[in-house]
Amino acid sequence: MGSIKRISKELTELTESPPEGIMVELADESNVYEWRVKMDGPEGSPFHNGKFLVKLSLPTEYPFKPPTVSFATKIYHPNVTNDEKGSMCLGMLRADEWKPSSKIAAVLQFARQLLAEPMPDDAVEGRIAEQYKNDRTRYEEVAREWTRKYAC
Amino acid sequence: MNALSADEMERFQKLSNTYQPEVQGPLVSTKQSSHSIAMDYSNADPTLAAKTNALAITHPDCRIMKGDGNCGWRAVAFGYFETLFALRDTLRIETEIRRMKSLTTLLERVGLSDSIYELFVDATEEILNRTHAAIQNGAQDESFLVEAFNDGYSSDAIITHFRILTSAWMKLNPHRYQAFLPMPLDQYCSSRIDPVKTEIDEVGLQALIDGVIEGSGFGVEILYLDRSEGEVVTPHLLSSNRPSGATIRLLYRPGHYDILYPVETTLNMAPIVNLQYGMTSDYSPWDQALGFDVNSSLMAIPNLMQDTSFVMGGSMSPMPSVSPTPASPFRMSPQQDMYQSPMSTHAPIPSIPVSPPPQIAQSAAPPPMTSLPSRTSDGPQIRLNPLVMKPNLSRSLPVTTPFKNSPYNQAHFQNSDFEPIHWEPHERR
Repeated sequence: MGSIKRISKELTELTESPPEGIMVELADESNVYEWRVKMDGPEGSPFHNGKFLVKLSLPTEYPFKPPTVSFATKIYHPNVTNDEKGSMCLGMLRADEWKPSSKIAAVLQFARQLLAEPMPDDAVEGRIAEQYKNDRTRYEEVAREWTRKYAC
Repeated sequence: MNALSADEMERFQKLSNTYQPEVQGPLVSTKQSSHSIAMDYSNADPTLAAKTNALAITHPDCRIMKGDGNCGWRAVAFGYFETLFALRDTLRIETEIRRMKSLTTLLERVGLSDSIYELFVDATEEILNRTHAAIQNGAQDESFLVEAFNDGYSSDAIITHFRILTSAWMKLNPHRYQAFLPMPLDQYCSSRIDPVKTEIDEVGLQALIDGVIEGSGFGVEILYLDRSEGEVVTPHLLSSNRPSGATIRLLYRPGHYDILYPVETTLNMAPIVNLQYGMTSDYSPWDQALGFDVNSSLMAIPNLMQDTSFVMGGSMSPMPSVSPTPASPFRMSPQQDMYQSPMSTHAPIPSIPVSPPPQIAQSAAPPPMTSLPSRTSDGPQIRLNPLVMKPNLSRSLPVTTPFKNSPYNQAHFQNSDFEPIHWEPHERR
C-alpha cells in the first residue's frame, strides 16, 4: 500500500531530523497510522515551557485525505476545541484545502505556529476568540495558568 | 419555529460546513451513448436541446466523469491513457514512460522531494506499464483502465501527479500564466491546483495540457456546451498539436467535464477491405465514364448535392478539412446496418473527403486526404466513382453528404410529419 511507504518515510525523516520543539513516535509500533507527538509551547507565547501531547491520526487514504490533529493535553486556545477531543481543524488540515504534497512535518509546524499566533476569525471556541481579540492580557493569563496546570 | 440554542446552532453550522453531497456513479463510467446527454437536456433550454441532439450524432459516445471536483483532471488523465492505449504502439508507451519520469525534474526544481512525489509518479508509471502489457496481451478494450481509474487510491494518485506537475510547470513558466490569474501565481497553485478536489479552471487546464499532455503529441479539444448562439457545441483546441487520430476530446458543461468520442474515432478497427474501391482497377477514368455534370438519376438520391453552406458555416470541428460525419446515421439506426458506408472503413483517416479521390482505383486504401478539393461556386460538382452506376453494386451508393438535411438525421424524428425514406436494394433509381 502506497500510504504505508510514504508514512514510514516521513516518520524516518521526522525522527532523524525533528523540527524545533517537535518530537514524534508511533503510539503503537505496529500501527503507522497513529502518532504521538510531544510539542513544546513556542517561546513568546503563553504556552511557553509547556509540553503538549498531540495525537496525529492518518487516514488510510493518506496522503489524499489530511491527517487529524488533536490535543490530548488540555489547552486554552481559540482554535482547539475545549472538550475531551481537543481537536484542531483549520487551514491546511481541512479536507478541502489539503494538499497531498504537504508533509506531516509541515502539519506539525503549522500546529505549533498556531499556538504562537491563533487565528481568532477561524475559531472553534468563540468565547476564547473574543477574549483573545478584546482582552489579550486576560487571555494570556488564563492560557498561562492552564499551561502550568495541565502541561508542565 | 423553535429557537435553537447557541450550542445547537454551532453544531448545525459544523455539520453544514463539513457536509459533502453524495455524488452518484463511478469515478469513470464505461463508454455510453451520448443520447443520454441529449435526454438530460430534452426539456431544457431549446439551445441546449438542439446542441446536445447534434452532439449525439457527431459524437455518438461519451464517458461520464464523477462530479467530485476532480472531473476535469480525471477526464484529461483518463483520456491520456486511453488515447495511448488506442494507438496500440508499445514503443510509444515506452517513450511516454521515459517522458513522464523525466518530468520529475520539474518537481525537483520547485523543491518537492522524492519521498513526496514518488507515490504519485509510481501510480502513473504503473498504469503506463499496465497499458503496455495490455497491448502486448492483445487486450480487447480499455476496461482495465476504467477499473484502474475507479480504484480511488490509484485514481487519486494519478490525479495528484498531474496536479503537482501542472503546479510545477506553472511556477517554472510564470510569464505564460500570471496575466490570466486573479492572484499571485504561487497562491493560485496552492489554492486552486494543489489541494485535493479543487475543480480545474481554464488557466489550470491550459497549464495541464501545456506542461503534461503536449509532450505526448496528443491534441486536446474541448467542446463547450452552453447557451451561446448556434446549433452545435463550440469546439476549442487547447493544444498546438493537430487534432489527428490521437486527440482527447472533452465535453465542458459549466462546472463539469466528460469525455467525448466522435464518429471518426475508430482507431481500434481492424482494416477492412473497401469493396467499393477494391473491386476493380481497370475501369476507365471516371470523367470519361460519366459524361455529364449533373446526372438526373443521381440527383434523385436524396441530398446528394453538396450543402456547402453547411460545410462552411456549421461544421462541428475547427478543422477546415472535416466534412460532417457521413457515417453517423448508419451507426445510430440498427435497422440500417446493411448499408455499411464505405467511409467507415478508412479507420484512421482524420478527415473524410467530400468526393472520392479521382485515382482511387489504384489502391484499396486510398491515402487520407487532408483538405477539401477546391470547389468552384458555379454549381454543384459531383465526383462519383463510376462503379456506383453498375447495378450489381447498387448497394454501395456513396453517401458523402452532410447529415443536416439528410433523411437519416435523427433530428427529423422530432417532426411529427416526418416519414423516413424506404429504399429497397432492388429498386432502380
